[in-house]
Amino acid sequence: MVERNHPLCRAHYLLRLRLPADFPATAPGQFIQLACRRPDGAQTSEVVLAHDLEWEPGKAIAFQQPELLGPLALLRRPFSLAGRGDDERGPWVEIVHRVVGVGTQWLSRLKVGDSVDLIGPLGNRFQLPKDRSLGLLVGGGVGLPPMFYLAQALQAAGWQAVAFVGAQARDLLPVNLDSSVPPATDGQPALSVQEFARYGLVTVITTDDGSLGLKGLITEGLTRFLKTLSPAQRQQAVVFTCGPNGMMRATASLAAAHGVDCQVCMEQAMACGMGTCQSCVVRVEDAANPQDRTADGRPWRYRLTCTDGPVFDARQIVWE
Amino acid sequence: MKKASTAAVNASAGLTADKVSLAVDLAGLHLANPMMTASGTCGYADEYADFADLSKLGAFVTKSITLKPRKGNEAYRIVETRGGMLNAIGLANVGLDVFLADKLPVLARMKAAGPRIIVNVAGHSFDDYLQAASRISREAIVDAIELNVSCPNVSDGLTFGTNPDLLKQLVRRVRDALRPDCRLIVKLSPNVTDITQTAGAAVEGGANILSMVNTFTGMAVDIWKRKTRLANGTGGLSGPAIRPLAVAMVSKVYRAVAKPAGVPIIGMGGIQYWQDAVEFLLAGASGLAVGTALFVDPATPITILAGLRDYLATLGCRSLSEVVGSLSLPGDGPACDQ
Ligand SMILES: Cc1cc2nc3c(=O)[nH]c(=O)nc-3n(C[C@H](O)[C@H](O)[C@H](O)COP(=O)(O)OP(=O)(O)OC[C@H]3O[C@@H](n4cnc5c(N)ncnc54)[C@H](O)[C@@H]3O)c2cc1C
Ligand SMILES: Cc1cc2nc3c(=O)[nH]c(=O)nc-3n(C[C@H](O)[C@H](O)[C@H](O)COP(=O)(O)O)c2cc1C
Ligand code: FES
Repeated sequence: MVERNHPLCRAHYLLRLRLPADFPATAPGQFIQLACRRPDGAQTSEVVLAHDLEWEPGKAIAFQQPELLGPLALLRRPFSLAGRGDDERGPWVEIVHRVVGVGTQWLSRLKVGDSVDLIGPLGNRFQLPKDRSLGLLVGGGVGLPPMFYLAQALQAAGWQAVAFVGAQARDLLPVNLDSSVPPATDGQPALSVQEFARYGLVTVITTDDGSLGLKGLITEGLTRFLKTLSPAQRQQAVVFTCGPNGMMRATASLAAAHGVDCQVCMEQAMACGMGTCQSCVVRVEDAANPQDRTADGRPWRYRLTCTDGPVFDARQIVWE
Repeated sequence: MKKASTAAVNASAGLTADKVSLAVDLAGLHLANPMMTASGTCGYADEYADFADLSKLGAFVTKSITLKPRKGNEAYRIVETRGGMLNAIGLANVGLDVFLADKLPVLARMKAAGPRIIVNVAGHSFDDYLQAASRISREAIVDAIELNVSCPNVSDGLTFGTNPDLLKQLVRRVRDALRPDCRLIVKLSPNVTDITQTAGAAVEGGANILSMVNTFTGMAVDIWKRKTRLANGTGGLSGPAIRPLAVAMVSKVYRAVAKPAGVPIIGMGGIQYWQDAVEFLLAGASGLAVGTALFVDPATPITILAGLRDYLATLGCRSLSEVVGSLSLPGDGPACDQ
């Protein structure tokens, strides 16, 4: 059931869903598959009862052509978990989504109290190795939501962490800013983003057009920060990233250049989200499959984003 | 119209849904109910186990298995279109050996819980099909082999499923190579001018059951990039969008080929609600498979069962066979649709 639904910026909405008490445990990196249309639209009778059809009075009518009721989005849409909580009223999850099409537009119009139909949690999770303690969260645009949830988990695990947040422009950044802590224009981390500050994380904001924070790409902020780390600190660090492919790829190579481990949260068009349709493939390095090789000789095989991922070790991704 | 619905309501007074039997006999393949999964939309075995009670299925149909593993096409492999989706997966599958070693034991456990097991086989030459199908049919737990014939033959480039002569030969040779009590299902491609010709060829070749239809070739375009949305260019269209096309084909094949020959049809193409399933039954299908709708809700085939029971009870029918093919078509002479 929808508990909150409001815009975070010009394009992104935050949706909080109250879940049944038995909803399974979740972890950052995991996602849900949301049906972007009314639950059991085919079975509802209110529309038909308004018409004069011949049937026993009071008896619900089954439509002949349920699909014409207008479920425009057929397949479910995948969304990363942006947060999870359990309180006296039971569990809830949050997603943050960008309105890009029919499904996300439908979601943006949900009202508090509406029901939605979801499957999840699906997929694997970010790994928090025991021998590490510094998280560098790099989220670009619509890749930010899983970072909010990760921040929550890192705080609980006692890690230190810094968030790097990038967007094209200020009004496309899906965050709540703390007006008393303006983001630095020189890439100095500050407690300016509430979604991270509430878990104790400082944030570096970059925008492509310089309308907020440091002007440039997100990797610019990350580069400046990595330079300030001692070799020992780099040993302790893990980069976690999600966003457009180009951004993740640049982040991964930056991390590799500084000898820092990196985990990427991949996106691919999905139908089932459960490992059956084979639609959501990414190329992942695999020495056990020597017959398929990249131009530079790396053996690879297709892995499924939905069940083998979405989180992968960045070194193993064969970027296309 | 009016009379029919009144009669239906009256008849329902005497029959309750729990008295209705959904059991079907498909050429000796006995199913507790007509509902199946469609190949390629439900994995190899128990991938959906957490989301649906698979033991309630009449039969489980696996993804297409090929002799050698196939990695499949590049991404994007799917795109949603209005009321449906295009896919160009490229028959990605683990191959015969891994299937037998890893997936078959899971299917054996599934079968013990109820459903019949149907393994779908694809290939790109006679030899591919023969080797894979005969090997799989040696496994006693496999009740039927379904041939996916929507693939080109590497030696001459002709698609098995669109060329009646090639298809007949293939079906005959595969039938001869199967364990005698293993049923052979031929899955027809809809990408033909006259599907009764390939249906007839499959039956002459010795198919025990026909399943129809596979996906329709389609294309979706990114108008700004001026490129196709699928990396493969074209893909197969499935989902509610194709249901009217599929129902028409089932109706045609039922009358022209299947009924005269006594060969049952497994109908599929856009089944999402029980009403859709009923359309296929009336058109002449006695088995029903759900594909794309499984992605929306893996329990779809099981949800449909209750609707089918109610429908039959409302009509006063005790068994499914009473409605199969009971559709009355206007006129029987040649007609022009336009
Ligand atoms: C694992 C995973 C996690 C995701 N998490 C989020 C999230 O937290 N927030 C969020 O806003 N979005 C997320 N997405 C993307 C989201 O699923 C798509 O934006 C959504 O499916 C679009 O649906 P639509 O009906 O609104 O648009 P459509 O009309 O279906 O598509 C509009 C545009 O979005 C593109 N698109 C469609 N599906 C995807 C997809 N799966 N990935 C990328 N682009 C797509 C299409 O190519 C098209 O250009 C995630 C995707 C995946 C695979
Ligand atoms: C993603 C996807 C993969 C499929 N893979 C196969 C396959 O491997 N073998 C096959 O015979 N049919 C395959 N099909 C076709 C389906 O089994 C079915 O014939 C078709 O989708 C029509 O039914 P539907 O509209 O209920 O999906 C596939 C369909 C989809 C959508
Ligand atoms: S989305 Fe179907 S296999 Fe991943």
